[in-house]
Amino acid sequence: MKKILVCALLWFTVVKIQAAEITVFAAASLTDSLKEIAAGYEKTSGDKITFNFAASSTLARQIEEGAPADIFFSADEAKMDGLEKKGLIDPATRNSRLGNALVVVVAADSPLQIRSASDLTNAAVKQIALADPKAVPAGIYAQAWLTRQQLWPAIEPKVVPTENVRAALAAVESGNVEAGVVYKTDAGISKKVKVACEVPARDAPAISYPMALVKESSQPDAAKKFLNYLDSREAGDIFRKFGFTLRD
Amino acid sequence: MSLLLKNILLPLEPFALEVDVEIRGRVTAVFGPSGAGKTSLLDLIAGLRRAQSALIQLDDRVLTDTAKGFFVPTHQRGIGYVPQDLALFPHLSVRQNLLYGRKPAGAADRLFGFDHVVEILEIQPLISRSVTELSGGEKQRVALARALLASPRLLLLDEPLASLDAPLKAKIIPYLTRIRDEFHIPMLCVTHDRSEALALADEIIVLVNGQVLQTGPVLDVFNRPASADVAAIAGVETLQAGVITNSHEGLATVKIHDTILTALAPATGAREVFVCIRGEDVILQRDAAGASSVRNRLPARVAALRPEGALVRVELDAGFPLFALVTRPACAELALREGDPVTALIKTPAIHLVPR
Amino acid sequence: MTLEEWQIVWFTAWVSALSTLVILPFGLALAWALARRDWPGKSIVETLVSLPLVMPPVATGLILLKLFGRRGAIGGFLHDRLNFDIIFTWRAVLLALSVMSLPLLVRSARVAFEEVNPRLEQIARTLGSGGWRVFFTITIPLAARGIVAGMILAFARALGEFGATIMVAGNIPGKTSTLSLTIFQDVQIGQDSSAFRLLGVSVVLAFVAVWFSEFLLRRKRKTK
Repeated sequence: MKKILVCALLWFTVVKIQAAEITVFAAASLTDSLKEIAAGYEKTSGDKITFNFAASSTLARQIEEGAPADIFFSADEAKMDGLEKKGLIDPATRNSRLGNALVVVVAADSPLQIRSASDLTNAAVKQIALADPKAVPAGIYAQAWLTRQQLWPAIEPKVVPTENVRAALAAVESGNVEAGVVYKTDAGISKKVKVACEVPARDAPAISYPMALVKESSQPDAAKKFLNYLDSREAGDIFRKFGFTLRD
Repeated sequence: MSLLLKNILLPLEPFALEVDVEIRGRVTAVFGPSGAGKTSLLDLIAGLRRAQSALIQLDDRVLTDTAKGFFVPTHQRGIGYVPQDLALFPHLSVRQNLLYGRKPAGAADRLFGFDHVVEILEIQPLISRSVTELSGGEKQRVALARALLASPRLLLLDEPLASLDAPLKAKIIPYLTRIRDEFHIPMLCVTHDRSEALALADEIIVLVNGQVLQTGPVLDVFNRPASADVAAIAGVETLQAGVITNSHEGLATVKIHDTILTALAPATGAREVFVCIRGEDVILQRDAAGASSVRNRLPARVAALRPEGALVRVELDAGFPLFALVTRPACAELALREGDPVTALIKTPAIHLVPR
Repeated sequence: MTLEEWQIVWFTAWVSALSTLVILPFGLALAWALARRDWPGKSIVETLVSLPLVMPPVATGLILLKLFGRRGAIGGFLHDRLNFDIIFTWRAVLLALSVMSLPLLVRSARVAFEEVNPRLEQIARTLGSGGWRVFFTITIPLAARGIVAGMILAFARALGEFGATIMVAGNIPGKTSTLSLTIFQDVQIGQDSSAFRLLGVSVVLAFVAVWFSEFLLRRKRKTK
C-alpha cells in the first residue's frame, strides 16, 4: 500500500514538473479564437495556457514594467517594435501571420444606414465608439482610415474612446453610442450588433498581428512550442473560422 | 385663566401618567418627587409630546383632543416653556435669544415691551454678551425673559430653582414673583422642593408615580396632607401609626404605642390613623414645670442631634421617634446632649391625623 | 504643465464642486431624516446610502450605466422623451461624482444633526417657530461645522473618483477627462511625466481638502 502511494506521488510530481504553464498576453480581439486554439493544444501537449486579454498598448506597458508574460501577441507592429527596441522580446521568434479587416457596426436593431465613411458625419450619428485612438491598435487603425478619407476632423468630436476594441463593441451593443469601428472578427462574435459596412482593403491601413517570445520568459521552451503551434495549419483553420485573414 | 387637563393618560416606564384636573389661579406648583412624570406633563401641555389619551384646553381654546384626533402644533400654542436646562441657544447672542420668539411690532397679541421685561429681570448689562459667558443665575433670567418676550398666555417652568445654590435661589425667587405680579401671566411650576412651592405658588398639585394625590391651596395641602404619601413628600418630619382611643367635642385622644397625645379629631370617624407632626411645631424644654396652654407634654430622651444649616434636627425618643427642629443657639443654650432627658411640647392643632 | 493639463484640473475641480452642491439639499434632508426620525424601511435606506462607500466603484458605475444608459429605465425615458443623454457626456461625470460622494456627506451631516440637542429645537418651537424656521435658524447653524466638514470630504472624494466615472463617462478628451482618468491613461500610453505632474496636483488638492476638513472638526471639538 505504501509503495503504491509513493509511486503515485512520484508520478504526479514528475508529470507536474513536465507540464508547463505558459502565460500569453494577447490583444483583446484575439480572445475567442485563442481560447479555442489553446483548449485543443492543452489536451495534446499537457501544458497549461493562461491568457491576459487587453488592449495591446496596456499589455506592452505591463511587459515593460516586468509583468510575467511568456508570449506577446499584439494587434499592431508598432507595439511589438516598441518592445523589440527595448530588448524585451526575442526577435528571432517574431512572426506576423494574421490580418484583419475593419467594419463599422451599429446596434442590431438600429435603423441607421451607414454605407461609407462619409455617412458617419451625418447628424444622426451623435457618438462613435473607437478603441482609444491614442494608444490602442484598433483605434489607431480606425483613425488612420478616417484620416486618409479626410474625414477625421469632422468625426473626432463624436468619438468616445474606449479602453480596448471589445469595450467599443460593448458600447455599441448597449445602445449608448450610435456606431462603432471594430474589427470584422469582433463583429462576428456579437449577436447584438450588425455590420453596417466593411472598410475596403484599399482604404484601410495594413492590419497585422505579430507574435513573439518574451525574453524574460521562465518557460522559453514550452513557449516556443506553443508559438510553433500557433503557426500551424490547425491553428490557422481556427483563425480563419473566426474571420481573420492569413498571409502564409 | 383656566387650564383643563382631562383624561390624560400617558404610559411611562414603569407607571402611567394619569391626570384629570382643572387649574385656575395665578401660580400653580406641580409638586412631587423626581421621576413622577412632572416634566412629561409639561411636555404634553406644550405639545412636545403626545398622550395616549388627552383633552387639553387653555381658556376657551382646545389644544389637544385625542378623541377627535385634534392637535394644535407646539409653535401655535402660545405657551412659554423654561426647561430645567434652560436651553439657551448657544450660537446666538443674548439679544438674539431674547428676540427669537418676538412677534412683529404692532401685532395684536404682542405683550410686554422689550425694555420692560429687561428692566424687571435686570438683564440690561447682559444684552450683548454671548450666552456661554453667563453665570447660572444670569442664564436663568435670560431664559425667563426670552419666554416672556414671546408673549405667552401661560408659562411653564421646569424646576426653575433646582440647579441653583441657596443664595442664588433666594435671589431668583423675587424675579419669579415679579413676573407673577408685573405681567399677570399664569405660571405652572414643576418642583420637588417644598420651600420653592411655598415661596411661589398659590395652588399645588401633588403628583406621585403619575397619579394626582391631592390638589388645593399650598398651605392647606402641606398642613393637612390627605394621605401618608402626601405627608411624606410634604416634609412632615414625624410620621407614626396610631390608634384613636377616644374622640370627644372635636378632640381626639390618640395612642402611639404607649404614648398618649391630644389632637384635633379627623373628619372621618377613623380609628386607625397616621399621626403627622412637623419638626417646627415641637418645642423642647429642660424642665416640665410651669403652666401653659400646651396639651401635649411628652417626656423624652435625646437620641441624636444633627445640625442642618442654621437649625439642628433633634431626634427624640418619646415612646416613639419624634423629630424637633430647633435653632443652633437654642440648642447651645439648653446644652442638649445625646441621652439628655427633655420635655417635648406639641400644641394640639399641630398634630395632624390622617386616616389609614 | 501644459494648457491641456490645466484644463483637465479645472474641469475636475468645477465638476467636483458642482457635484457637492448638487448633493447638498438631498443629502441634508436625508441626513436629518435619518438622525431625527424613525420609519419603516429606515435600515434599508441607511444601507443603500452606505453602499457606494463599500461596493467597488466600478460596480456602482455599472449599475449607473444600466440605469442611465439609453436602454435603461431612467436613461431610456430621458433619451426618448427629452432627447437628453447622460452617458458619455460631462453629465455622466457629474452623476458618478455625486453618487460616490453622497454617502460621505450624509454620514457627516447625520452625526452633526444627532449632536444638536433636540431640546433646543423643542424650545424654539415653543417660542413660535414652525418646522422650517427651526431647521434653518437652530439645527443647521449648530450642525454647520460637521456639515461643512462633510462637504469637504465629499468634494475630495469627487476629485479622486475613477471607477464609476470611467464606466459611465469614459475618458473623452476635452469632454469627460478628469484628473484620475487622465493619469490612468497617461500611464497606459507611456506618458509618464504628464502622469506624474497630474499626480502631484492630485496629491496637493487632496491634502488641502482633508487637512481643512480635519481643521474644522478640531475647532468644533475645542468649542464644546
